[in-house]
Amino acid sequence: MVSNSLKVALIAAALGAAPLVAQAPEDMPVLTAKRVSPTFSMNMWNPAGHVKLIAWDRDSLVVRGRVDRSQKYFFGGDANGAKLGILSGAKVAVEGGPQGDDGKPCDFVVWLPRRGRLSIKTVSADIEGIDVSGSFYTVSGAIRLSGTSTSIEAESMNGNLDLGANVPWLRARTGDGHLLLRGKPQDVDAATIAGTLDIATPTVLRGQFTSVSGDIHYAGSPPTGAIFEFSNHSGSVDLLLPATAAGVFSLSSVTGSIENSFSDVRPAALSPRSLRITLGRGGASVTVRTYKGVIRLRSQ
Amino acid sequence: MDDDRRALLDIHLASCWNCKADVAHLSKAMGALRRVSEPSAPLDDLWPTIHDRIESAKVISLGTQPEAVPAVPAPQKRISWLWLAPAGVAAAVVIALFALPGNHAKPDQQAAAVADTGTTLVSVVDSSYAYEREAQALLDKLELQRALLRPDAAVALDRDLKVVDVAIAELKDAVARDPANPALRQLLAASYRQKVDLLKRASNAS
Repeated sequence: MVSNSLKVALIAAALGAAPLVAQAPEDMPVLTAKRVSPTFSMNMWNPAGHVKLIAWDRDSLVVRGRVDRSQKYFFGGDANGAKLGILSGAKVAVEGGPQGDDGKPCDFVVWLPRRGRLSIKTVSADIEGIDVSGSFYTVSGAIRLSGTSTSIEAESMNGNLDLGANVPWLRARTGDGHLLLRGKPQDVDAATIAGTLDIATPTVLRGQFTSVSGDIHYAGSPPTGAIFEFSNHSGSVDLLLPATAAGVFSLSSVTGSIENSFSDVRPAALSPRSLRITLGRGGASVTVRTYKGVIRLRSQ
Repeated sequence: MDDDRRALLDIHLASCWNCKADVAHLSKAMGALRRVSEPSAPLDDLWPTIHDRIESAKVISLGTQPEAVPAVPAPQKRISWLWLAPAGVAAAVVIALFALPGNHAKPDQQAAAVADTGTTLVSVVDSSYAYEREAQALLDKLELQRALLRPDAAVALDRDLKVVDVAIAELKDAVARDPANPALRQLLAASYRQKVDLLKRASNAS
């Protein structure tokens, strides 16, 4: 029987033996290869470049990367948890003084156990994750997540978020960036300040969708029993529903207008700028509030 | 408790600080319970005043005749609840001993519309004030960290803060004009929540 440490060494050797001439991230040099626990916890920092995180069914961590000579890769920790990333000029500047640049971009590909958790932070580096769980933060980079996760917390100051994971719990925040929600999330809290928020998934059971001035678009059929709350100040809220959609829709805007294209349904007017519309039998409960944004209920 | 068990207990208490502290707490509580005097008035006489005081802080009446709906139903039947007093005090003492200091849940925005014979009462637990205080504390903290922010992050923060602050100002004006509108208060609370989230993200960026 081959021991786990030998397996890891073989994996590392196999990965390290890959040719370096190709540009694919998977072909970059191995920086760390280590046996870790199945619930390994990882903190990562990479200011600029690109990070790809992949969960796998092995109790080992493999980090490949391309690090500029002016920067230093660091790794510290044990089988249960570790910190790794770039100790670059930018990081030093951020820790010790103002306004360092991001340094030269560094690319990483990290494989970690499927049940592991990670916390990653970047400045302008893009983050791509497949089957990984944890928190993802970037100042201006993009975050793209897919696969299956246990929970996701993705935040950016003004980067774009493309969240397509199958996940029971998801929290997402961005400022000016575009937030796209797809995949199969169940419990969602998503918000933007001025960025557009697109929800293109029919699997959300509990959803809170908020923006201040960005438009919110929902396209899908809310499942039976779902509870959605949309809130916007000046942006519009656009609900594009199939003709078979079922649910109670409570729509209210303080000064904005409400447009309803379900012409065969007779809405009940609660007040001049408030409507309650019941589609089908029972179904979901959807509340939409805006201050001056337009609310549109449209049939696909 | 027989003597043997009592002796074992005394030996344990002599060496276990935690148990000794628990026994001291309970002895103190029992002493307090023995000193409790009977209430000066029946509880069902005291309760309506207490209930009114609690409700007056959180109920905003809407509709044409909110005063027509009694906030508290008049007592139908006078029953002596005096025997409950010691038990209530005991429960309060035990809670005070073991639950404090506790984590108080942050108030969340809630609105419940209750229709009752044509008149509507809307209870609004307004979280705007809590968010406003938190936002101010975060702003103060961020001022210290602003020098550490990257220039592009600072620009993005200022831009987003302006968007949120404009929304908050508009909503505050609207609430001032129509204070009984729960939707406005919920939108205001949502905007404050956005501001708090934004400041926390900015703090992370530094």
